[in-house]
Amino acid sequence: MLKLICGLVLSVAAAGVLAAAEEAPVPACNLVPGWSQAGPDRTYVADNLFEYMDGNAEGYLIYGFLKMQGVTCKKGDVTFVVDLSDFGDADLAYGMFTSNVDGRQPTQKIGMNGQIVPRRAFFAKGRYFLEIAANPEGDYTAALKEWTGALEKLIPGSTDLPPALAWFPTGQRQSLRLVPESVLGLRVLKRGYAAQYDYGKAFVVLEATPQSAGTVMEQLRKRFGGTTPAAIADEAFQATDQYLGRLCVFRKGRYIGGYAISQEGMDPVPLSKALAEKVVKTD
Amino acid sequence: MTEVGFGCMITSDGSVVERAADLGITYFDTARGYQGGNNERMVGAALKKKRSGITLSSKSHSKTKQEALQDLDTSLRELGTDHLDIWYLHNKTSPSEVTDDLIEAQQIAKKAGKIRFAGVSTHKGQAELIPFLAKHPQVDVILSAYNFTLEPPVSAAIAQAAAAGKGVVGMKVMAGGFRTVKPADPAYAKLHRDGGLLAALKWVLHDPNIGTTVPSMTDNEQLDENLKAMAQPFGPAEEKILTARLEHIAPLYCRTCGRCDGMCRQGLPVSDVLRILTYADGYGQFALGRERFRELAPEHAGARCAACPECTVECPYGVRVAQRVARAQELFAC
Repeated sequence: MLKLICGLVLSVAAAGVLAAAEEAPVPACNLVPGWSQAGPDRTYVADNLFEYMDGNAEGYLIYGFLKMQGVTCKKGDVTFVVDLSDFGDADLAYGMFTSNVDGRQPTQKIGMNGQIVPRRAFFAKGRYFLEIAANPEGDYTAALKEWTGALEKLIPGSTDLPPALAWFPTGQRQSLRLVPESVLGLRVLKRGYAAQYDYGKAFVVLEATPQSAGTVMEQLRKRFGGTTPAAIADEAFQATDQYLGRLCVFRKGRYIGGYAISQEGMDPVPLSKALAEKVVKTD
Repeated sequence: MTEVGFGCMITSDGSVVERAADLGITYFDTARGYQGGNNERMVGAALKKKRSGITLSSKSHSKTKQEALQDLDTSLRELGTDHLDIWYLHNKTSPSEVTDDLIEAQQIAKKAGKIRFAGVSTHKGQAELIPFLAKHPQVDVILSAYNFTLEPPVSAAIAQAAAAGKGVVGMKVMAGGFRTVKPADPAYAKLHRDGGLLAALKWVLHDPNIGTTVPSMTDNEQLDENLKAMAQPFGPAEEKILTARLEHIAPLYCRTCGRCDGMCRQGLPVSDVLRILTYADGYGQFALGRERFRELAPEHAGARCAACPECTVECPYGVRVAQRVARAQELFAC
């Protein structure tokens, strides 16, 4: 079942609905000449993913993992473990990508986005997240590029990035990821994008309705206490938290966003105002 | 070390980790493989001003000495520390996976001052693996999945390890009994509201052989709830909650303890069939269930429970074996 209600961007969720009918085939080792399959196909669902990757399964489940199909491919002494996971919608698949991407390394335009490092490649396309792990130790960048190129064509789905990504400024940004639950460590902020900067954090969360977003704002005011109003979008406040620093939180329609600043000399209010101006209302 | 530690794997924000340290939690656990390495970076940033009072552990999935030692150096760099208090070999399921090569890596790291204690983490196969680790002179700490649904041999193995002087850390302390309950299920909210998760954590803590635990914590609310477990001991109220939960899952939930092996007069691998049925019944993946069923040996896939006058398989945990296996045959057999 697609998680439309919780999706951050409706257009992306809608693309997920269209993609629902398009099933990706199981990756095949003969996709790239010279490779052959070693061992049987693998299929895992949420209930038994731990049998395959106990110790790391929760990291998939938290993004709404549905199903994984994989093969191990061999060429000489080299093996590529190829796993294709279905996350149900593009937002969550991209979220899984953001969880794994190394912000210090370049990304490549594979599907929505991808990254290739000497022994590992992964990308998100549509509702799918594809990953390849290479063994033994070595630099397999060229072969991984060939494989991801072939697999990208095989996997259905949109290659458009979630629009919300464009709302966050890029300067001094360390990371930008989809937090699947409890943004800023607060359960009331259910799911959204959060960017880590050298000076603090920015976030945007989508609620079901402007009314429910208003309720969340009220809960946040109570949570932080001693808030002062700010003139941003539909409503906004400033607060200070021992762990998050100086906060400015705004509501624009169904969206709740803002900044948590940990560095002296930075003001969360103008930053939040600029962020609010970029947020595109969808209600 | 506090009996409630902090499993950082799915923590949403570093501020939760920092706050946990301020609230008195002294043990934090991560792994090289979590979130492609991003988790170690987050934990390192959150604890950078608090390292001296903290017990910090990480893990390596690597299968060779050289790669494991490279992983360790990366972990130290990402965590911003010059040593780990515990370094685990990650996710081992049998003694054969705890190789001399990997043990040597831990000893090299210990001599170099990069780790204080050598550990092994395990999620399954504990009944065989933990007694092996208990006797292993170079293993100091065992991190094991442990919760109220696991079969008694795991508790016995953990007691053996503790008696041998090993540190035992419990993980997956809540998940086991509640894995089958999805957030959309009304029972999910009830479990939270009625203290089911807290009861499961308290159940582990009241085992004297468990040194500490690392429940995964996502947010501040979960942190606050888990801290209560240290102040409020396991008692009759918690026992009642967990008993009710076990009764609810018992007829359906195969714990793969293996005690039904050889009991079926037609030779069926009962726990495999029950697991296959779960794919369809528990998760709506009928095609996967049928695919796995068809992979059974022909004599097993073709067997029918109706051919027996009565079932000879008795599950010690109350799974209704005959009913469940017959359902699998009805669903999947051609």
